Amino acid sequence: MYRISVDTGGTFTDVVVKDANSQIYMSKALTTRDRAYLAIEQGLIDIAATIGVEVTDLIRQSVQINYGTTRSTNMVVTARTAKTALLVTNGFPDILLLREGGKPDPFRRMHFRPPLVPRHLTFEIDERMLADGSVHIPLNEDSVRAAARACASAGVEAVGISLLWSIANPAHERRVAEILSDQLPDIPVTLSHEVNPSIREYRRASSTAIDASLKPAMQKFFGDLQSDLDEAGFTGSLLISTSYGGGWSADRIAAKPVYSIGSGPSLAPVAAVREVDSDVPGGAAGNTVLVTDMGGTTFDLSVIQAGRIERTNETWLGGKWIGDITGTRSVDIESIGAGGGSIIRIDSGGLMQVGPQSAGSEPGPVCYGRGGTEPTITDAALVLGYLDSSNFLGGRLELKKADAEAAIAELATRLGMTTEAAAIAAMRISVDNIVTAIREKTVSKGIDTREIVLVAGGGASGINVGMVAAELGARTVILPKSAGAMSAYGAAHSDVLSEFDIVTFQTTGSPDFQLINDAFAQVHRQGQEFLDSIDPATISSTGIEFYLHARYPMQAWELTVSLGSYDDARAITATDIENRFHEEHQRVFGVFEEGEHVEILGYGARATARLAGNDERNIFIDQPAESDAEGVRPTYFRETGWVDARLVSAQRMRELGEVTGPAIVREDTTTLVVYPGHRLEILDSGNYQLHIGADGSSH
Amino acid sequence: MRTYKTDVIDMSVIANRLDGIVREMENTLLRAGRSAVLNMARDFSCSIITGDNRLLATAEGLPVHVIGGERLGEAMTRRHPDLREGDAFLHNDPYAGNTHAADHTLMVPVFVDGVHMFTTLAKAHQADIGNSAPTTYMPFAKDVYEEGALVFTAIKVQRDFTDIDDIITMCRSRIRVPNQWYGDYLAMVGAARIGERGLKALCAKYGLEVIKDYIEDWFDYSEVLMKDTISRMEPGVASGFGVHDPVGDLAPDGLTINVSIEVKPDEGRIVIDLRDNIDCIDGGMNESETCSINNSMTGVLNCLDASVPRNAGSFRCIEVMIRDNCIVGRPQFPHSTSVATTNVGERLVMTTQRIIAERWPGQGMAEGSNGLGPGFAVISGQDTRGGNNATFVNQLFIGSQGGPGGPGYDGWVTFGNSVTNGLMLRDSVEVDEQKYPILIRQMRVRTDSGGVGQWRGAPGIVCEYGPVVDQMTAHYVTDGNVNPPRGVAGGGDAAPSEPYVLREGGAEVSAPLIGSVTLARGEMVGHRLSGGGGYGNPHDRPAESVRTDVLAGFVSLASARNDYGVVFTSDRIDASLEVDVAATATLRGE
Repeated sequence: MYRISVDTGGTFTDVVVKDANSQIYMSKALTTRDRAYLAIEQGLIDIAATIGVEVTDLIRQSVQINYGTTRSTNMVVTARTAKTALLVTNGFPDILLLREGGKPDPFRRMHFRPPLVPRHLTFEIDERMLADGSVHIPLNEDSVRAAARACASAGVEAVGISLLWSIANPAHERRVAEILSDQLPDIPVTLSHEVNPSIREYRRASSTAIDASLKPAMQKFFGDLQSDLDEAGFTGSLLISTSYGGGWSADRIAAKPVYSIGSGPSLAPVAAVREVDSDVPGGAAGNTVLVTDMGGTTFDLSVIQAGRIERTNETWLGGKWIGDITGTRSVDIESIGAGGGSIIRIDSGGLMQVGPQSAGSEPGPVCYGRGGTEPTITDAALVLGYLDSSNFLGGRLELKKADAEAAIAELATRLGMTTEAAAIAAMRISVDNIVTAIREKTVSKGIDTREIVLVAGGGASGINVGMVAAELGARTVILPKSAGAMSAYGAAHSDVLSEFDIVTFQTTGSPDFQLINDAFAQVHRQGQEFLDSIDPATISSTGIEFYLHARYPMQAWELTVSLGSYDDARAITATDIENRFHEEHQRVFGVFEEGEHVEILGYGARATARLAGNDERNIFIDQPAESDAEGVRPTYFRETGWVDARLVSAQRMRELGEVTGPAIVREDTTTLVVYPGHRLEILDSGNYQLHIGADGSSH
Repeated sequence: MRTYKTDVIDMSVIANRLDGIVREMENTLLRAGRSAVLNMARDFSCSIITGDNRLLATAEGLPVHVIGGERLGEAMTRRHPDLREGDAFLHNDPYAGNTHAADHTLMVPVFVDGVHMFTTLAKAHQADIGNSAPTTYMPFAKDVYEEGALVFTAIKVQRDFTDIDDIITMCRSRIRVPNQWYGDYLAMVGAARIGERGLKALCAKYGLEVIKDYIEDWFDYSEVLMKDTISRMEPGVASGFGVHDPVGDLAPDGLTINVSIEVKPDEGRIVIDLRDNIDCIDGGMNESETCSINNSMTGVLNCLDASVPRNAGSFRCIEVMIRDNCIVGRPQFPHSTSVATTNVGERLVMTTQRIIAERWPGQGMAEGSNGLGPGFAVISGQDTRGGNNATFVNQLFIGSQGGPGGPGYDGWVTFGNSVTNGLMLRDSVEVDEQKYPILIRQMRVRTDSGGVGQWRGAPGIVCEYGPVVDQMTAHYVTDGNVNPPRGVAGGGDAAPSEPYVLREGGAEVSAPLIGSVTLARGEMVGHRLSGGGGYGNPHDRPAESVRTDVLAGFVSLASARNDYGVVFTSDRIDASLEVDVAATATLRGE
């Protein structure tokens, strides 16, 4: 019996297989664009060989496949979605253009990004609802038919409907959809109150437009995947990872594909929760966890507090304020332009800058020898001896160290420093960009970085995590064995999870305040139906938790307050709500207003099913090593200069139990640099823990 | 290559960290703030000045707010030689360095090892400040007494990290929406204290001496970058003027603002001279000293390399010459400066950048849109929905005005106005209709409102709204009606900004440019907002870009033909629209 989990990224497809004895096998294959299954099969071939079974048997004996993909994100970012029309309330055809205003810098000149749906495919419908759900202007059905005809003649492939106040009364949206299904029977449609029942017309319209625009391609994509798996003999259940960080059935995600945005990265925090539960006293529930994932171009970070993965309603594709918001709830992942490919430059005032521009994989760093001329962090790491020139990407790419040295030396001459010093400087600046982003994220949540547990994943994390951890003063640093395939590994252990929301407006200041039982009952019922739809054989337990969104009067932005179980939530009083809100406000903003009432903007329920077998400890099976060369390599650190660092393989690490820096540990999918004075320990779980010097400083 | 005392790598790192601290402060203010002007329009800013009152870090703050923070610090250190840890000061006095009375500023002196190293500033435009009318913009206030704001000249409002209740009580008794004010006050305290915490941690990490050296080096570095930028310009002098629209009987012919600019590349300096201007007038249109300086500097900074850090070091390269008792200089007490941050202030920004564009080809930009008409009105009334009866006073941000074209870039669509440069956020229709007893009827791009050009001005929108239960009053201060934003270098002017009222039944009647309208249920106030001016000859704009503009509703078919010289094969505005290449070439005389 096996469970398979897969993360399809832009370049690589990561595959993780777990067997009945909780043994974990990992592999990577090149992503195949149109048919995801081909890459999955490639990855499975490697793993099947290690296990000693046929691929077809491996698939037939699998009870479940967890699947994550960055495909929908990439489709939106690169504008390759379906030709989509948007139907809006008369008077408001420019919602997607105007967004919510804002610009990241008052003086930087920028090009204004066109709207997700162009104006000539945006159609105004004569109708208007009001905030209380009453009809201000009745629906003019002729205006809908006219829009449908225009859509047909323009060759529209998908339609979004987002009317003002449909969250208070969805009758008009529903009727518009009925007319469309008559007039355009084969065109997929998304209704705003269904896909994202929340206040704020821009966010809802943006969710709706993105969702509709993804439907044709993503429905085919998931359909193909399901039929390819069927054909390969797979009879288990296929779960698709959502932006929430949990799994949905393939049918459900095909109906609301906007929730597949961020589907790969959202699972890294899930993996982290598991690692912290197994490796750190108190587990994820008793700690504040910072999860990082550093690849070639970006550095992603997210926060887990009290075992709860932080989620947000503000995920922007293409930049905050200036791009397009998904508007839906997703794991709160901050992405900055800092990775192995970040470019090192000197500005006209003589200061070094690193990133956010990246050399990407084409042309890539100078050392790739594929035409890159600007030195990058990867080049600096190679010059300093942190990386091997021979075993990068499993030896498929020979790194040209001399070229990297020449490029860094040129910068060093202009700065009047040695090549090594310039390379170290670039590492430090890159680390500082990362640390600043982490501090902004954590301080705004009232988190002290010295108290955090840092879980560092991603192929490029190993070269600088020691410096990042030392800068933050982080007490506990975990480097997961699964670092190179953290999202797929997370998907293998993710819960089946969905949230159900309802919009309301109430104030605790009202003398006859009470929670709206009907609303609670409704989200409770939706949650229960969702849980009932899951194959009971695959899960060990289920639960529904409630929350509400609230703010002080006149605030524009809400905070989320947890209410606990159905019984807890129904028993809550106005005073309880106010007190919990004050507490949350104090925690996040450092101040609260005693005696002030609270406005409630919505209720929600989060339904969760835990997968069976999730609580067992995993055993990692390495791929057979080609060589187990050990020895030393000259390596440069800021405080020691050139020293011989010990080279240690993953297998050897298991025998040693721990190693003190300077050392370089070579894993199958990544390289870990142990800085002088740091100590790397292998844990029972197979993960590594990095111990920073007692003085908390690495340089 | 220049040498610094501070390790250059430490320098990058510390600079980065300081901007990070400012952003942490900003985030607190935005999320915790109570009034719309703060939590929606981002009409606030945070900054860090040194203990000896030099502007050190601003991140990406509102230009009109952050430039001049040092003068606020001076008022604090001058009045309170006995400053100590745990103090906080409230300041809004335009005669002691502030922008205008509506911008309450909270200052926290930050002590490290007993030394006053920094001051953190959180400045936020308030919904109400206790003026004689329910608005923070009073163009006709004869003097500060008629304006009527409560004024605090660096008044101590916290001691030992605790509120001094007497000051809070004064505000609560005089400000129309006391809870909203107090909520915003708390958000400012939270922001300034979060900055204090971050700065202390930074000093603990690097040590005081390193930080002291850093400060001087960072100013020098910023000055080098700015000099380098200016040294690449042609030497020369240019002057010109802009005209603010008529202001009722106060200025029936409008207000002319003269600006003279000298670029001295050898010295790496730019000098702006504002002394040749009229005296202060008996209304709230005067600039405060800080606004005279920061708005003309904004005009210059709009034209220079945006990557140069904005601080006391780089600002050494820009000098603004002003005189006493001048409408754009140092005002003479008790003249009112109620509207200093917008209107005449915007004219300073627009005129400065346009003069640069006229005199220095390839630099500068056209004039951006300006004024705060009905799309940005302060609305007030009684909310009697659901059997309640509550007073509301708040500013709406449902308008959208276009930004100016400049070399290489079309105008920014959600530009706001010439002192916010696109930073403003916009209200949600649904959130506004939930908060206030109003109905918003439309919000759509206004075709042909942006100035034509190779790089065109962005369009404004048309918006209309009105009360749904009882009557409502809207106060606003339009500009750009008689004198719409001008184009430059062959680019066209933008359409004028036009306020109007719709009577019940839909008849349009005129509305004052500056003042207030009171609407009954069923009536609406409307605003055709202006765009930005265009830059360069519109015939040089690629025909495909003009097609995109037509499809977006930015440009009409008529304007495409008459102004841009672009002809299409049909007049159907849908995907089938195609440029008639031959006819276009003929019309353009190519």
